[in-house]
Amino acid sequence: MSEQTRTVRLPVMRRVLEANDDIAAATRAELALRGIFAIDLMGAPGSGKTALLEATLRALAGRRRPAVLVGDLATRRDGDRLARWCDRVVQISTGDGCHLEAIQVRDALAQLDLDGVDLLFVENVGNLICPVGFDLGQTAKVGLFSLTEGDDKAAKHPYFVAEADLLLLNKIDLAPHLSFDRAGFEADVRLLNPSVPILDISATTGEGLDAWLTWLTDR
Amino acid sequence: MLGVHEFSIAEGLAAQVLANAPAGARVREVEIRVGALRGLEPEALLMCWDSVTFGTPMAGAILQIDQRAWSITCSDCRREWTSPVPFVSCECGNATPIPSGSDELDLIAITVDEVET
Repeated sequence: MSEQTRTVRLPVMRRVLEANDDIAAATRAELALRGIFAIDLMGAPGSGKTALLEATLRALAGRRRPAVLVGDLATRRDGDRLARWCDRVVQISTGDGCHLEAIQVRDALAQLDLDGVDLLFVENVGNLICPVGFDLGQTAKVGLFSLTEGDDKAAKHPYFVAEADLLLLNKIDLAPHLSFDRAGFEADVRLLNPSVPILDISATTGEGLDAWLTWLTDR
Repeated sequence: MLGVHEFSIAEGLAAQVLANAPAGARVREVEIRVGALRGLEPEALLMCWDSVTFGTPMAGAILQIDQRAWSITCSDCRREWTSPVPFVSCECGNATPIPSGSDELDLIAITVDEVET
């Protein structure tokens, strides 16, 4: 009996990240069942993601029952900062991973008592590129820019801008010290995402946070 | 710096290829399609693909990346064309034509050697 090989092309047509998407879909279904609004918060290192969450958790105390997952390459510092304002915080250490994936969020959620929780913040790894393409099961993607990063960052990160359900522009208290072209920034955003709301905020002074809290409350 | 999300994509791709290849078949070629919005770096993905498939039935398989271009529409003269980058000027003088790109990331087909006895 002789062995022969035959070369064949097999059409597949399936999503490359199907395994991640399936886990994210299961997470999304469970969160919806529990009535939890889940935010994937993405932004560059130093844009103020943790500072924003600190201010947000402080403002929501007694009004909402939030939980927080916080992803970082290393250290537990962000988790420790947020644990002062929220009793349901899980730090996810990604090691050398530049973004969170659905399985990490699912496993972190399993460590939390979700009874009574109505709001989930997932602080992604500081990065404007890698996190965008990985569905975590969130209800909304919130993109955080800050004035100190420069006004060209929207144009340089089209996927980030196009995928965002809300954009926040942080550190507006520093505007007098910087030459940030606010109109040019918004014009770049509009070309990529005509309808996304853009809210100017300062996590440090609290300026503009009311609009962000209203956006959250309206969900 | 190595794009580490390309590594995750390569891992996802390898799992998807294995799931769709006949058992024991040697994989010769893998075809994927990537939307412009993804901003994927083909060279980074190729490097990660070689690393992820080392020592597997996919080792040495050629990865064909069909990277889709941005569709550009000029809101002034209505001209439409494609571009590898999203922000470009139109020849009519408009500096802000509208870019649009898809976020697809799909395994289109695999080519395998099947053993016939």
